[in-house]
Amino acid sequence: MTTATNLRTVPLARRFLTFTWGVVALVVLVLAIALIFQPSIFVDTLVTGGMWALMAGGLALVFGVMNIPNFAHGEMFMIGGLVSWVIYQPIRDAFLNDPKNMFLQVVGPIPGILVAAVVGFLVGVLLETVLFRALRKRSRDQWVMNTFLLTAGVSVMLVNGDRMVFGNDYRGVPRYWDVHSLQILGVPVAVDRIAVFVIAMISIGVFSYFLQRTRTGRAMRAVSQDETGAQMAGISLNRIFMLTMGLSCGLAALAGAALLSIFPNSPDVGVQPLYLAWYVVILAGLGNVQGAIAGAFIVSLLQTLAVTYLGLGWVDVAPTAVIILILLFKPSGLFGSEVKGVWEQ
Amino acid sequence: MLKITGLESGYELLQVLWGVDLHVDEGEFVALLGPNGAGKTTTLRAIAGYVPALHGSVTFRGQQISGMSPNKVSAAGIGYVSEALNLFPSMSIYENLLVGAYTVKDKAKIKANIDLVYELFPRLHERSGQLAGTLSGGERKMLAIGRGLMPSPSLLLVDEPSLGLAPIPTLAAFDALKQLSKRGVTILLVEQNVNTTLRIVDRAYVLEQGRIVLEGTGEQLLGDTHVQEAYLGI
Repeated sequence: MTTATNLRTVPLARRFLTFTWGVVALVVLVLAIALIFQPSIFVDTLVTGGMWALMAGGLALVFGVMNIPNFAHGEMFMIGGLVSWVIYQPIRDAFLNDPKNMFLQVVGPIPGILVAAVVGFLVGVLLETVLFRALRKRSRDQWVMNTFLLTAGVSVMLVNGDRMVFGNDYRGVPRYWDVHSLQILGVPVAVDRIAVFVIAMISIGVFSYFLQRTRTGRAMRAVSQDETGAQMAGISLNRIFMLTMGLSCGLAALAGAALLSIFPNSPDVGVQPLYLAWYVVILAGLGNVQGAIAGAFIVSLLQTLAVTYLGLGWVDVAPTAVIILILLFKPSGLFGSEVKGVWEQ
Repeated sequence: MLKITGLESGYELLQVLWGVDLHVDEGEFVALLGPNGAGKTTTLRAIAGYVPALHGSVTFRGQQISGMSPNKVSAAGIGYVSEALNLFPSMSIYENLLVGAYTVKDKAKIKANIDLVYELFPRLHERSGQLAGTLSGGERKMLAIGRGLMPSPSLLLVDEPSLGLAPIPTLAAFDALKQLSKRGVTILLVEQNVNTTLRIVDRAYVLEQGRIVLEGTGEQLLGDTHVQEAYLGI
């Protein structure tokens, strides 16, 4: 009996591994070809991929550590854009009145983006302490289902709360940095998008370093792997949950703020980023943060290819179709269970 | 050091402990023996803060610890090695030990404790980069005990280290505990392997149906007729 199952499972697991690496290799190959023949695809993939990585990384973190499928994640994106817009308006007026002031023009958008991340963090901490902690105390039965409903409710409240207070208009900025596009690999890229890319790369770097190398980051991973074991080591679950939710929401708000010129703020601006982040997380395997970061670039490549060769209307169709195909072959996601260990190292 | 008086505890619909009294003195190696379902594991879980105490008190160095959350109990200096081990499967041995030292701020002390664990279990040193989820049963026990030692607890609670192990790794686990005890770590051990346990511990309690029924040194209990009939099959 045991030998029979072993014989069946060993080659299967190996086939899954090669399948994952096959997909990764294919993506790298397509990017390499694009780099030579169509650099715009390469550049676009990296720029949008970075932002989806921030969204999806946070979503995967909260699912992995707290088992919460956060459907209010898009609203953190919305809150980030809103905060940045509110703070940026007076700064923008100030330098429009004083066009010679280069300092205001260069540094102007940064406070809004930073404050947005901080506000996102605080909203996350608030959600955890007020809602999830209270629910956890009452009962952890049906936890995933209950928190799904709870976050869906929070999402509806935040969208309509925003609509009530700020109205239904689009609130955007045409550009954070109103200067000529730079040429990268012969492709004109707006300075805003370069800034977005730089912000994304720095945040992903800091975020990964934090998870892998710091004491608190390690404690977060420990909680996601075994809560009881983490408590035995003296880790306070409440503290880790609070930080996790805060970090995740902070990253989403940072993305929303950085992308304000591409996604003008409106009450339901978070819907598309939310679903994209979910595509990525499902594709990568639930709760796998590094997988989600890699998956974000795969999804953004699919989007870019769809926009370039099929037209704008196909932007969501192509990724979903490919994700369905991949999940048919590997239901646990590209980097799910079997390879999780590899990524954790 | 640890003093439990009249402890009653259990789960939502089922009370398991009906007034447990026991104490462990500084430097002692004490065992808690008994049949399946007697409440041995529940006693440890109640000390460690994973199940609430309904009545009675648990004090550690004069400080009331019943009602504290598990991480606070751990921070107070009580290490707990559970039956399920609760390792972090996707982390390496080294990282598991580092997480074990979460409450330790001093880097030199963390390093010294890791060296101590590696000295006690050279096997862990050889495989320090290997993921905990890929270890054998015996290695997993070693790692769990090693992780429990990382914060230098003054009292270590160990739940059934022999569970699921072949005879040789079982002896190795007991041997490691004996060594730890010689180094001055106070240990409260829960076991079903009565014969071997009574030969290595200083003192033991026998727990039956949620109450302590016997207490004595290892030798006394080995000679006790009830223990011989019920647990040793003599």
